[in-house]
This record gives sequence, C-alpha cells and structure tokens, in this order.
Amino acid sequence: MAETSATGASADVLDQYRRAARLSHGDLWLRYFELGGMSNALELEAILYGALRPSAHEREVIAQALNERFVELGGNHPVPYSESDADRLRDKNSQT
Amino acid sequence: MGNGVTAHQATSGCGADVTTAKDPFGQFAVTVGVVDARAVLAVRGEVDRVNAPELGAMLDAVIERHRSVVLDLAELDFMNGWGLGVIAARASRLKRSGGTLTIRSPSAMVLRLLDITGVAEVVLLEHPDPRRGHLGAEQSSAIADALLGTEPYHLPPHVGKITAIPADTDVVDGALRLVVALARATVGAADGVSVSLRRHGHLATVAASDQTISDMDASQYATGEGPCVDASVKGRWFHAESLDTETRWPTFTLRAQALGINAGLSSPLLAEDRPVGALNIYSRTAMAFAPKDQELASVFAVETSLILTSAGVDVTDEQLSRRRSETLWARRVLAQAEGVIMERESVETDDAYRMLCDYSRRSNQPFRECAQDVVASTQRPQFDPEPGPKHSHNG
Repeated sequence: MAETSATGASADVLDQYRRAARLSHGDLWLRYFELGGMSNALELEAILYGALRPSAHEREVIAQALNERFVELGGNHPVPYSESDADRLRDKNSQT
Repeated sequence: MGNGVTAHQATSGCGADVTTAKDPFGQFAVTVGVVDARAVLAVRGEVDRVNAPELGAMLDAVIERHRSVVLDLAELDFMNGWGLGVIAARASRLKRSGGTLTIRSPSAMVLRLLDITGVAEVVLLEHPDPRRGHLGAEQSSAIADALLGTEPYHLPPHVGKITAIPADTDVVDGALRLVVALARATVGAADGVSVSLRRHGHLATVAASDQTISDMDASQYATGEGPCVDASVKGRWFHAESLDTETRWPTFTLRAQALGINAGLSSPLLAEDRPVGALNIYSRTAMAFAPKDQELASVFAVETSLILTSAGVDVTDEQLSRRRSETLWARRVLAQAEGVIMERESVETDDAYRMLCDYSRRSNQPFRECAQDVVASTQRPQFDPEPGPKHSHNG
C-alpha cells in the first residue's frame, strides 16, 4: 500500500496538519481506519513523517480524515486530497 | 508491476482444472476448475491493487456461468483492501442473483478484513482443514466453532479486541519501563523510580525499578495517600524534600521511612492535558533532589506524557469499546456504500470511494453520513450522486 520514500516534504506537511487539527496519532488512525484506510497505526505515522509514501488512494483517505476534523473545528477542507493538488497549492502560495 | 494476467472463461467440467492465469513474477496466479458443480478459483500469491482487477475479471467470467462459486485462498500469501473490494462486489452480485460465493481456507488476516468490512455477511466460509494450522493461536481458539462447516460466519465480539486499539498495552508498558530505567540512570539522587498509571479506573504501578518501590506505590494506592496518588489525581508536582519534616501524608511517611526512603518527587503524567498517572522518583537521602534533578524529572514526565497521549491511554475501557464498535460499524457501512455505488455506476472500488468523497465535500456532510445515505437509498428509488448544497453541515 505504501512504498519507502526519500522525500518527506509533503508528508511532513501532513503531520503539521495533524498537529493543527489537534489529533493524536492514535485518534487520527482511528478516524482514518473508519474511512477505509488499510495501513496500520505505525505505517500511518511513517506516512505522516515521510518515511513511507502513500498510494494515491491512501493519501485521499488521510486527507479526508483530516479535513473532516477541520470541519468539526469550524474550518473548511484545507488538506489537499492528492499530491498534484498539494503541488498546485504550493505553486499558488509561492506566487502570492 | 505489469503481470500480464488475462481473464479466462471457465468451462464446465468435473474435477478438472481448466484455466490458469499467472503473472511472470510468479506472485499471483489463479486456477479455475469445476468440482461437484461448483466453480472453484484457487488463488495463489499476492492480490494487491495491480492484480485485483484481474481477479475481478476472472470472477466475472466465472459468475456468468456459475451460481455457486468457491474462492480457495489456501495458497494466498497476501491480500489488501483492493482484493477485498473485488470480492465484496462479486459476492453481493452473486447473492442478489440467488447464488453464493464461498471463501475457502481464509487466513486470520483475511477473516479479519472480511469481518471489519462486513463482507463476511454476504459470503459463506469454508475451512476444510480441521487443524486450522495457519491460524494464530488467538484466532484459532476464538473462532474455531464458527469456521466449521459453511454457515455464515460472525466474529465473536471479544475477537474485536485485536482491532482498532490505538496502541498496544505491551508497547506502552515497554516504553514506560525504558523511561524508568533512564530516569534511574540519569537522575543522580534517584534510588528508585516508578510509573503510576490509571488503568480500568484504578491506579497501578506499570513500571518500577524494584519490588520495594512497587510495594511502596501499592500502599499509597491502598490508603489513597501519598505523593504519587496526589500527583496522579491533581495533576501537579509533589516534592517531599525530607520525610523527617513531612506532614502531608503521615501513613505514607511512616511506611516509606520503614523502607529506608527519605525523599520523594512525583511528577504528573498527562494525556490530552488530563492527569492519568505520575512519574515517581525516590531517594534514601533527605534533601536529595537538587534543582537539576527536578528539572530532569520534569523532562522525563513531559516526554512520558507525550507517549501516553499518542497511545491514547486517557481513553477508558468503556469509551474505547464504544468507539471501536462505532468505527467497525462505520467501516461496514462504507463497504456497503461502495458496493452499492460500484453496482449502480459500474465502477471499481477506488472510483466508488472517490465519488463518496466528492459527495461528502459537495454536500459538506461527514463521510459516514454520506455512506449511510447511499446505503439507505437502496430502500428508495435513487441515490443522487450530484447533491445540491441542501445538506449544509456547518449551518
């Protein structure tokens, strides 16, 4: 489901989102699992820190779990659902 | 991995394997045969995202001609959610048309996946090997009866304990023992160290440098009096600089002095900012804990609190049990919703999931409610995959 990755930039951002969402790793894993995630808690943590690269589907599930939390906190859907969305967001931010 | 697998139609026959498909790497292969009027697909190797569609295509070809289909997983090494999604869709289709899909010789992991996702409700399970040799001990004893014969299989409730637990208790205890060893080695004045933690509603010592320290903690829990109890309950530091002059805990003071302890330092352990226990450091020497020792104790307590927060130890058994049930139920509904969408829209699992995601975003409705809507729509004429803004979640 996930492969090893040497780059952790976007994954590190994922863990920043987790912290901003005020979720422990355990809480996020339960939410992610509920939404159909197939990685175990340790693998999810590795993905968040950039040690594993998620498949597109896994990435979407993680984003969905985080975004639902942000909606609960009164926010919108700040977490990009795919790597390409994240790249577009980075480009847009760097231009502004 | 390009595996070059193609779907083959199974032809009728009796007791003969008629079709074989395999990838060039030898990691995935399906053999199709007909035995006793049942089509049997024997799957070997690994079923993942790459080859799950091939398995689906083979199942589709077989289902066109047979209403009783057996999926033999005795030689299966690995299967993830992709394979499960393929099986779920075919099992539902067969069931609706009055047929049956039997899963033969599933591993413990596959059984777990089948139950979590609710697929176990639409398939039959068959385990011809009475020894169940490849099951782990816990699964083997827990589900032994359920696996005999071909009755629909329901996981006993207590087996659910192996799923959805934020962190294994043994792992947490191991980390706490490491904290105790490190604190004992680095806090200069420490003669004994322990960690008290609230479990099942009661304080208990989960790691201690020696039995004397453990006994001293236990006497504090019994009397409800002492620095480790106060730190655990009140979430504050308690420093008994010298037991000769200590007056706050008379029973504890007498007991500790009898064991040769003359100073104690208990730091609160917090999970999600709630007190759940204490890190206790004891010394035989009065006035032993210098500011540097107190600082070190604080660092250990903060780091230990982070471990406990990540492990979710503040969650009570009752809360955990309820949450586990809710999580499993939500996953079951999700699998059902995916199946409904796959059938209606003629799409694969990923696309069905994406459609549900889109529906959730556009309607601003939590994912689980969207999945419930989809499942409930099977009782109504139509599920609308293009909802308007009528379900505003944020008001």
